Amino acid sequence: MIKTKKRVDRLLTFNLPLLVMLIFTLFPLYWTINTAFKHEGDIIKRPLGYVPASPTIDNFVTAWTNVGFSTYFKNSLLVGVCTVFIVLILSTLSGYALSRYKFKGKRAFLLMLLCTQFIPRSMLIIPLFIIFKFLGLISNPLSLIITYAAVEIPFTTVLMNGFISNVPRELEEAAMVDGCNKLQAIRYVIFPLLVPGIVATSVFTFIYTWNEFLIALMLTNQQGKFTLPVGLSYMMGEFNINYGALAAGSVIALIPAVILFAYAQKHLVNGMGGAVKG
Amino acid sequence: MYTKFFKTVAATSMAASLLLAGCSSDSGSSKEANTKEKKEDPNEKVTLTFWDENAGPQRTPIWEELIKRFEEKNPNIDVEYVGLPKDSAKAKYDASIAAEDTPDVGSVQTSWLPEFALREALLPLDSYFDKWDEKGKINKGAVAFNKEIVVDHKLYGVPYTQNLDILWVRPDWFKEKGTKIPETWDEFFTAAQQQTDKANNRYGYTIRGGAGGSFQLQRLMYAYSGEKDYIKDGKSTINNKKHVEFLKKYFALYKQNTPQSDITNGYKEMIAGFDTGAVAMVQHNIGSFGEHKEALQPDQFQAIPLPKTADGKYVAEGGNTIGISVFKTTKHPDAAWKLAAFLNSKESQSYWNQQVGQIPTNSDVLSESWVKDSPHIQTAFKVYDDKETILYEPPFYLPEYRSILDTVVDPGTQAVMSGKMTVEEFLNEWAKAIEDAQKKYDEHFKK
Amino acid sequence: MNLRQELEVPAVSTEKKKPLKKFKIDKWIPYLFILPSTLMIVTFLFYPIGTVFYYSLQHYDISAPFYNAFAGLDNFKKIFTEDKLFFPSLLTTLKWVVSEVGLQLIFGLTAALLLNQKFKFRGMVRSAAFIPWAISGVLASVMWSLMFNEHMGVINDLFMRLGIISESKAWLAGSTSAFISVVIAELWRGIPFFAITLLASLQSIPEELYEAAKVDGANRVKTFLYVTLPSLKNTIVLTTLLRVIWEFNNVDLLFNLTGGGPAHSTTTLTMYIAEQAVHGSNFGYGSALTVVVFAILLVFAIIYLRITRYDREGN
Repeated sequence: MIKTKKRVDRLLTFNLPLLVMLIFTLFPLYWTINTAFKHEGDIIKRPLGYVPASPTIDNFVTAWTNVGFSTYFKNSLLVGVCTVFIVLILSTLSGYALSRYKFKGKRAFLLMLLCTQFIPRSMLIIPLFIIFKFLGLISNPLSLIITYAAVEIPFTTVLMNGFISNVPRELEEAAMVDGCNKLQAIRYVIFPLLVPGIVATSVFTFIYTWNEFLIALMLTNQQGKFTLPVGLSYMMGEFNINYGALAAGSVIALIPAVILFAYAQKHLVNGMGGAVKG
Repeated sequence: MYTKFFKTVAATSMAASLLLAGCSSDSGSSKEANTKEKKEDPNEKVTLTFWDENAGPQRTPIWEELIKRFEEKNPNIDVEYVGLPKDSAKAKYDASIAAEDTPDVGSVQTSWLPEFALREALLPLDSYFDKWDEKGKINKGAVAFNKEIVVDHKLYGVPYTQNLDILWVRPDWFKEKGTKIPETWDEFFTAAQQQTDKANNRYGYTIRGGAGGSFQLQRLMYAYSGEKDYIKDGKSTINNKKHVEFLKKYFALYKQNTPQSDITNGYKEMIAGFDTGAVAMVQHNIGSFGEHKEALQPDQFQAIPLPKTADGKYVAEGGNTIGISVFKTTKHPDAAWKLAAFLNSKESQSYWNQQVGQIPTNSDVLSESWVKDSPHIQTAFKVYDDKETILYEPPFYLPEYRSILDTVVDPGTQAVMSGKMTVEEFLNEWAKAIEDAQKKYDEHFKK
Repeated sequence: MNLRQELEVPAVSTEKKKPLKKFKIDKWIPYLFILPSTLMIVTFLFYPIGTVFYYSLQHYDISAPFYNAFAGLDNFKKIFTEDKLFFPSLLTTLKWVVSEVGLQLIFGLTAALLLNQKFKFRGMVRSAAFIPWAISGVLASVMWSLMFNEHMGVINDLFMRLGIISESKAWLAGSTSAFISVVIAELWRGIPFFAITLLASLQSIPEELYEAAKVDGANRVKTFLYVTLPSLKNTIVLTTLLRVIWEFNNVDLLFNLTGGGPAHSTTTLTMYIAEQAVHGSNFGYGSALTVVVFAILLVFAIIYLRITRYDREGN
């Protein structure tokens, strides 16, 4: 009796909710994949096919080759990786300052970080364009890397602040006693302990750059320099809707993110805990 | 404690605005110098940028092929194609003009011309066009229209394709029911009713209630009224009696003879309704031919003109064209014109329009066999070639024109459809917005 | 973990370089450390933000430069006295932010509690549950618009097969159902953010606390209220604040699924800004609206941090 009761209890408080959650999360993804493998005509045909009747990879071929997807994919990777690199360095430094020092203007700095997030991005486009035109960086991946880094740093600084606060001060002091200077102490003592936090910050930043559309479109004037979201948007315009290729493109765009998650999942979870515990 | 921070913000933004003001006036003057450059050396190696305002898997390859052909003919000119997604194309042009970083040549919708001309972004093409040996071939009405709508009446864009709003219908359903495909408005409303069979998930018609619907709605209203002037002596004809009468009948179709989702329908939802076999008639233009061809059998879709007015006339909106424009910042106006002329040549227009399924403006193309064999293009000719056809002109020159349609008319349509507003209130608001814009314009330019 | 240990070794054994005159430099070190980030933000974000403030005092229409002029406070006056859409869209924004952040927090916490238990394939399930977070707003809206479609949407099809509804519904057509539909779609994308952060935080709660609660005879609800929730407080405060700011400015799904309709009933303030500044090219007025948003969020952030006492020197 007690055993059955326990089982029912587990079913109601654990198995069932978990199942509901997984269905809600995965069904839209499944539907996209399903659409990606269907022939264009079958996608809008009723009754709906829950499994592609005659699966095809045409959509993937179309998405990958026809619209120059492979180029956009590479561009996105380049921009993503470089942004992550810059963001990591700068936010580690500023996060360290926030976590380890009391200094005048600390709150003003924090508030400044928050303030940058208050403005809708669409309002910043034209001035950004003017800055990068002045710097001669239009259509240069650098313009995207710099903008993305500037946009992400406020958030990642707050994250890093949390991670660093979790590293015991004593470790660092020990290193300093051993003759390391501050930067060396950070490099050799703090940094290794920060691996989970670094993974978390990287994933945050990478996902943002990977999906950003508006700035990418506006600061680029060369076809070969566009990033993935711009490539995807080509498949959504008037006269140009191709659900199959769009779904296939989405699936391709998702692959790096999924790999990243599978790989970072453990670190990510540990890392975030450090950051937000404060 | 935050005061210091605010002081910094204030100071920075002051500095920023000064910097901005300085920047824009500076680059403005350097621009003048650019356009007045010395004669070009025709054999100099030149790179041109070309912007396509509706890029995608369907149209991009067409442009790339044309550019390839052009580069073969002109080995000293390289053309760099840049495709803009349709929904963001206008915003991208806007930003590029504001930052004075425009392409050399671009595909520009006719309705954008007055605004771009006022912003002094485009190069007048009159002198080039007059010397061009194919100039007589380009649809004279369309060229004249392009000159008429801009403030200084110069030619800023050479139209390479023309479009027309029509109805796409299901001939097989009409045959099945044994009813007539509509030619008049009464027949249209009857047909919408007769074709509706909710039990079988069939609707007679579908309304584009969401984004972009205003442009189509306006074309229907004028097709019904036959009104020739958009603005008469400072008064807009938008809220005249005929339009009120029409919209009352038209919106009465909603939910009775159309799907419920129409109220937020954008292009893709509306077309999906037709292509999935849920609706019998849809209003769009001949450009969506390719999508129907993909989804339906040849005997399942047909293009018919918008119904005639009560006194038997077709109506079409002027300026439903897209043209090639050259931008003022170009350092190579001669080469840019060469490209513009090439894209408007018989061969290029023929290739582009055949692939897309729209109407060429070059008269040499019109006699080609593919034009004769495309029933939807023939439908469009029936309207454009009819001497009785009324062409009305929307006030493209009003800077607010497009935003009124986007921000007053689209939401207003939805308000009427959801019963929050009467047709009269809606049309009065629309008319007032147009009249206000016109007044502002007059005060500024005709003082 | 291996990596960490490997790297730690050279750290401790690093040769000493030079004796330091630490004390004077120390005072400047924090400023030195925040300098690169500050420079980056000031150069590339303050100038654009500054122009927004500048243009809020101007009549500035991108498509009609000849109408441009100094406006003083005209734009602001218009917002608060004439604009019929400002307050309704502010209200929609509030509804949007409260329902999104509230529901994301509740479901995210539930998901975190579930994923924190021990079960088979936990790693796989966890990463699967996080995927929606990696999907862009544009992609998510295409996926959901396909699913919500009245004619070809799988939601109608599924619900009809299950007997929940008897005929196809137009989910995005009514003001209420459209709003709820988009809220669900955005929830799908937003829950993982809370799930991840809260899960991480859950793992850092010391086991002893739970054992102590057990000894005291606390039931599940009590344990949750008196052990779990207090330990999560800081996480919840920070993630909620960030989420409020993000959702306030997030328009992707609303814009692509309903376009703010029907009849502006799902238009949020940020969408309204985009409508004015980008589609209406009325940049001056859009900037003034943005300044109002800025002020609202600033006041909110300050009050929120005060009330929750997050900004106390806890770090």
